[in-house]
Amino acid sequence: MDGSHPMIELRQLHRFFGTTRAVNNISFQVERGQVFGYIGPNGAGKTTSMRILATLDLPTAGDAYVDGFSVVNDPDRVRGRLGFMPDYFTTYSNIDVREYLDFFARAYHLRGKQRKQAIDRVMSFTGLDVLAEKPIDGLSKGMKQRLCLGRSLIHDPPVMVLDEPAAGLDPRARIELREMIRTLADQGKAILISSHILTELAEICDTVGIIERGKLIAVGSVDEIQGGLRRDTNLVEVRVLSGVDGLPDWLANRPSVSEIKVDGGLVRFVLAGSETDEADILRAMIHDGFRVVAFGARRRTLEDVFMQVTKGLVQ
Amino acid sequence: MSADVTTPFADRTIPVPRTDNRMDRVFDWLGERLNPILVKETRQALKSRQFVLTFGLLLIAAWGWSLIGLVMMEVDGGYSQSGPAMFVGYYCILAAAVGVFVPFGAFRSLASEQEERTYELLSITGLSPRQIVSGKLGSAVVQVAIYTSAIAPCLAFTYMLRGISMPTILFVVVYAVLGALGLSVIGLLVGTLTGEKHWQVLLSVVLIVGLLIVFFIGIGITSNLVFDGDYMFGDDEFWMVMGMLLTAYLTYFALVFYAAVAQITFVSDNRSTRLRVIMLIQHACLIAWFGYIYFTVEVMDEEILYGLVSCMAFHWAVMGALMIGEWPELSMRVKRGLPQSFLGRAVLTWFNPGPGTGYMFACCGLIAACVTTCVMLLIGMASGLGGSTSSTDMEKIFAFSVLAPAYVIAYMGISLIFVRFLRRFTQGTLFVAALIQVLLITAGTAGPFVVESIVDSGGFGGYSLLQITNPFWSSAHIAEGGTMPLEAPVLLTVVPLTALIVFVLNLPGILHEVRHVRIAKPVRVAEEDEQLAAETKPHEPVQISPWDVQ
Repeated sequence: MDGSHPMIELRQLHRFFGTTRAVNNISFQVERGQVFGYIGPNGAGKTTSMRILATLDLPTAGDAYVDGFSVVNDPDRVRGRLGFMPDYFTTYSNIDVREYLDFFARAYHLRGKQRKQAIDRVMSFTGLDVLAEKPIDGLSKGMKQRLCLGRSLIHDPPVMVLDEPAAGLDPRARIELREMIRTLADQGKAILISSHILTELAEICDTVGIIERGKLIAVGSVDEIQGGLRRDTNLVEVRVLSGVDGLPDWLANRPSVSEIKVDGGLVRFVLAGSETDEADILRAMIHDGFRVVAFGARRRTLEDVFMQVTKGLVQ
Repeated sequence: MSADVTTPFADRTIPVPRTDNRMDRVFDWLGERLNPILVKETRQALKSRQFVLTFGLLLIAAWGWSLIGLVMMEVDGGYSQSGPAMFVGYYCILAAAVGVFVPFGAFRSLASEQEERTYELLSITGLSPRQIVSGKLGSAVVQVAIYTSAIAPCLAFTYMLRGISMPTILFVVVYAVLGALGLSVIGLLVGTLTGEKHWQVLLSVVLIVGLLIVFFIGIGITSNLVFDGDYMFGDDEFWMVMGMLLTAYLTYFALVFYAAVAQITFVSDNRSTRLRVIMLIQHACLIAWFGYIYFTVEVMDEEILYGLVSCMAFHWAVMGALMIGEWPELSMRVKRGLPQSFLGRAVLTWFNPGPGTGYMFACCGLIAACVTTCVMLLIGMASGLGGSTSSTDMEKIFAFSVLAPAYVIAYMGISLIFVRFLRRFTQGTLFVAALIQVLLITAGTAGPFVVESIVDSGGFGGYSLLQITNPFWSSAHIAEGGTMPLEAPVLLTVVPLTALIVFVLNLPGILHEVRHVRIAKPVRVAEEDEQLAAETKPHEPVQISPWDVQ
């Protein structure tokens, strides 16, 4: 392994189902130790492209590579390098946690001491060691998610593809999962993760890709995504003492202001310009008789960017 | 939070206690080498209610039948030979368990994996499709072994009751076990056919009906064998037929097994070559057995040759119908393994996946069968080993050997043209290709009858040239009777000519597939192969004694 290739690479990936373009010309790369957040509304094509990466589906055109191996032509080599956690959890009946992990360890050709150590390691890492003899059917949702993560880690793959791993978890379990993912990335694993909980992704991802209707509409580091789309704009919130009557119309007449929204006694708008422009508009408001009690510009969150770049379109 | 996020995952090691018991070590060693699916399914089965219930029912039924038998023996004073009757009863119980429950369980095992999507997780592990199918089959073998062992004392008990020999008992048990394994592998193949729930329900019903039919046929055969079959064991022809059946069983077992493997193999892999090799082995076995019978058995010589051609025509018609449904383009992965030398390309190209190569493969098989039949006939006549065949019979066998394969080549070729046309609009599957061929043959067979019934309301007469599209009646018409029929010249001109034209029409497609050439491995794959080869290369010899050569 010379390390000259990205650990995950999608090259002009297409996947069509009849007339539906589930994945439409998507390309991106994930390097070793990098966490790539894959964001998009339901039906955007996240799961489809992840399934292609996991060798569970074939692209209509283009290709995807894991550690330099094509998922189409070398699925056997890809599978040994990839841990896939799907967005569903199904299991076998009459089987306990240790037996489940033991089965998958055997299935990845781990033998003897190596297998036993891998199982113990995974159970310890995911906190399942106390539940080793518990039947899987009796596990809580959170524990099942951990088991699913453990299964995908059992062969210590350098690439992880996690489809909605935090779905349905309580806040504590989410924080724990986030820590686990960060640890895995620190060990050098390349991680592709999709989630609807954007604040979480912002905290653990190095790079984010936003997908809608099968197309990748924005990609970059979290900072780039948050600030780079419209670097010269700020979200401004204003609270006025005696109601907001007249303020939206007043703002609408200013060319640097857009996207005005009224939320109770609060007016939100996007201001194009620098901090000086913010100060100017505040002075103008006060000058024109608006009794401003709060005025603040805040940084765009990933959610803001997501809402800005996506249109909520489904196919 | 018990996940120790401060410790690197990859660096953690936990000491494993050493096992000192020798037996444990032996079982550990064995367990390491067993198929993971077999280990998992055995663990699951031992905890499952279904296994306990089936096993319990088997024991209760066996005990119940033993009690009924003892009571009946008591009634007739214990003087009758009640072994056969008792044996058939026990056989029914065993056959229900191993011939119905186990194969259906094998089907459900694979079908439910697809239904519940556990198969997806299984398919992306390091297990190959062959390991997955053999693991499921291994699980069926274990169940068959358990059920057979459970009822074995009862079967042995029937020997004490007189009226049944030990060879008969062993023979029936062996064929019940082989039958159960054959049905299990069919169950596995059926389980791979679809992941759609509604189709699986339909297939479940079809499979259960099929298994029950086989169950009742098995009881019939066993009853005949047990009550009147002892004399058969001394008969050479009986063992010859058994040999034929065993050959057919083994080759079809391999074919069905690898068909199931092919069904779950990744699309870009070569799913066809292994199956074609098995088809060729079947072809060779069929010819070998028919040749052996033709040259050693002194009766029905002509019928044996007609049988050989008919079997071959049927074999290649069925296999060809499936092969022409293959996709014409080869994946890069398959192209990496194509033969390179001239001889390799000339001989092995027909084993490559593709409808054109498949059609050619079937045509070659048919022509080889036709030539072999004619050569066997000539050798048989020249050496006198093939009995006395008249010149008319010889002509009729030659004619049949040309006509039957010509029909198959023509119908298969027309089906292939339809499949290629259909692929311009949609993706034709194996099933669609096979369906097209069945529909064409059905139309060719039923069409003349429809036309005849419209034209002549007086009912059907004898054979006429209107039936030329009917492969069954036309071939039979050539074979039956003492003289060559009047329609023979027309049949032997039109049908082979049609087959030739259809073959020529398919040639461009075949040539397109023949042009595929081997491509180089991607750099990344070559790099890894080199790395792996270096790792497995033996180390430099180390001198550990004065006698070791430096």
